[in-house]
Amino acid sequence: MASNTEPAEKDAALAAQEASAPATPVHTTSARDAWYPAGKRDLFILRELVTKDFKLKYRRSVLGVIWSVLNPLLMMIVMSLVFSFFLRYDNIEHYPLYLIVANITWQVFSDSTNAGMMSIIDAAPLLKKVRVKKFVFPVEKVLFSLVNFLFSLIAVFVVMLWEGVAPTPMMLLAPLCIILLMFFCVGLSLFLSALAVFFRDLVHLWSVLLMAWMYATPLFWPVSMIEQVPYAFVRTLMYVNPMYNFVTFMRDTVVYATMPPSSVVLSCVVWAAVSLALGYWVFRANERRFILFI
Amino acid sequence: MQDTLNLDGGGSVFLGLSSTSIRVGDKVVVTPNFRDANKEDFLFNYVWNIDGNWEEGQWGSTVKELGHPVADGSWTFAPESPGRYCIIVDIEDQQGNLLGNVERWLIVAGQNSFMRPPVPPADAPTAVLADDVSMIFNIASEQFNSLKEYFIAAAKHELTFKEFRALDHISFEVKRGEAFGLVGTNGSGKSTMLKIIAGVLEPSAGKISVSGTIAPLIELGAGFDMELTAKENIYLNGALLGYRKDFIDEHFQDIVDFAELDGFMDMPLKNYSSGMVARIAFAIATVTEPDILIVDETLSVGDFLFQQKCERRIKELVESDNVTVLLVSHDISLVERICDRVCWIEKGHMRMLGETDEVCEAYRSLKR
Repeated sequence: MASNTEPAEKDAALAAQEASAPATPVHTTSARDAWYPAGKRDLFILRELVTKDFKLKYRRSVLGVIWSVLNPLLMMIVMSLVFSFFLRYDNIEHYPLYLIVANITWQVFSDSTNAGMMSIIDAAPLLKKVRVKKFVFPVEKVLFSLVNFLFSLIAVFVVMLWEGVAPTPMMLLAPLCIILLMFFCVGLSLFLSALAVFFRDLVHLWSVLLMAWMYATPLFWPVSMIEQVPYAFVRTLMYVNPMYNFVTFMRDTVVYATMPPSSVVLSCVVWAAVSLALGYWVFRANERRFILFI
Repeated sequence: MQDTLNLDGGGSVFLGLSSTSIRVGDKVVVTPNFRDANKEDFLFNYVWNIDGNWEEGQWGSTVKELGHPVADGSWTFAPESPGRYCIIVDIEDQQGNLLGNVERWLIVAGQNSFMRPPVPPADAPTAVLADDVSMIFNIASEQFNSLKEYFIAAAKHELTFKEFRALDHISFEVKRGEAFGLVGTNGSGKSTMLKIIAGVLEPSAGKISVSGTIAPLIELGAGFDMELTAKENIYLNGALLGYRKDFIDEHFQDIVDFAELDGFMDMPLKNYSSGMVARIAFAIATVTEPDILIVDETLSVGDFLFQQKCERRIKELVESDNVTVLLVSHDISLVERICDRVCWIEKGHMRMLGETDEVCEAYRSLKR
């Protein structure tokens, strides 16, 4: 008897299962609106990539995102001690603020170009399998450095309190400088990332170039020293230097509460435009061939 | 297996089926079509048989029981049970002497079971069109990884490239709602073809046009970051596939449920096994209906239960009629179960393009 009822029960159970199956939401099968239209998906991709980088940077560190504030602060303290005592640059007004504003501006530039240069090479596994607009990778690295920059602004604020520098309306011009710097970095990252695909040597070369560039820019030494350079050619070069202009723009608005000279503002605009145009052109001309080299 | 018979007196006869894939209860009309010969001059004997065994001669009795000598015209066949049928028509002259036979395969699915999509008519909307696609890779005879090496070689005029044709003039058209298979031995260019369709590679020559959203499952875990947790990866991968954020929010639990990985969502992916990664990737790609689903050898990573589940899901998508499936697999029986048409690519050349049974039969005979 028992052996006879068992299959029947099983059948009943199976039938019940089958009957209940359509009720459970397994998969939506008519979701035409699941996708972004082709143009809009890049924004979400950028956001997800920045989130990813941010999470990875601070994962498993106790202080986490506080490091974004702490790091420029500690660097500034070390540098200000070194240069005040050994090189006697302490005659500069608000030297700690002078230092930290230049440092975080430089940091945006060096972080974004370093990471941007590697972005296409690093995204190789992805680019080989999914169709994604390639420009999102260098652009994302620049945006990520902007996020870090925004956190380090807290450190600037702390130093301003310490130095007793009150915020002024002139500071409202600083975001303009940052936007121009973003364009400059995006252009350069596009350019470098495209070149790095074909010539990996650039990766090694760039770190040396960056170091030379850093010393040539008045980050920790006084701007007035440029005048003492004996060769007119080198002096011009140092004034034309895009990073000199961006750093001066930031310092004038944040530290000295003065309007930056129009030549500086103009240089920033021109450099941003030139870099963006060059980067865009080189990237667009070569992006189709990336896949064959990565 | 021959669907065309050349007659001694000139002319030929071709066996036409109204469909090559039906369900139990449906009817198929079998029509011998004559070319350059008069239909009235012949007699026909219709025979069918389930699942082969013709070679062993086990079909003799079916001739007597089920053969239908018909004087002329077509014959309607209504199979009573599911299976793979071979339909044979013996062609006889008026005196009853056998001239030869023509054969066709017919798949009969159960009442509720999966039925591979019918071969679409020529005017159906196109999903993927490959028009004379060639892919040439320049293999540098030496790999230059530095500027110095490159310039030295360029100065010496030693920059030579070896041309490698991964795909050579491939043309096919996949209609919307089709399940299209790509078969071929290793390194024959199947994956290159899929990458071109997915828009990752650009063909060196020829054109490819694809209409609709693509969910590529070319290699599992593309776009996954092993350091991130499964949950974070679902969002990242979803973004790369082009999903809306609110869509992922809404269907997050569906993805987790399908992958059967509830409770592992906050674990970094590097601690996952490859099978678990495969589950997540498949679940994300198929949570909704893409216009085109590209499946490349992905199912082989998961365990057999998940493989079955994936197959069921692919079949669901095929049955919805909206999804075009492109399937690459070395598991020919899987291709035979799902696809209506197959393209066989061998060493970059298109060897054969046609209905699944025909192509798979030919491909199998190569292997032996």
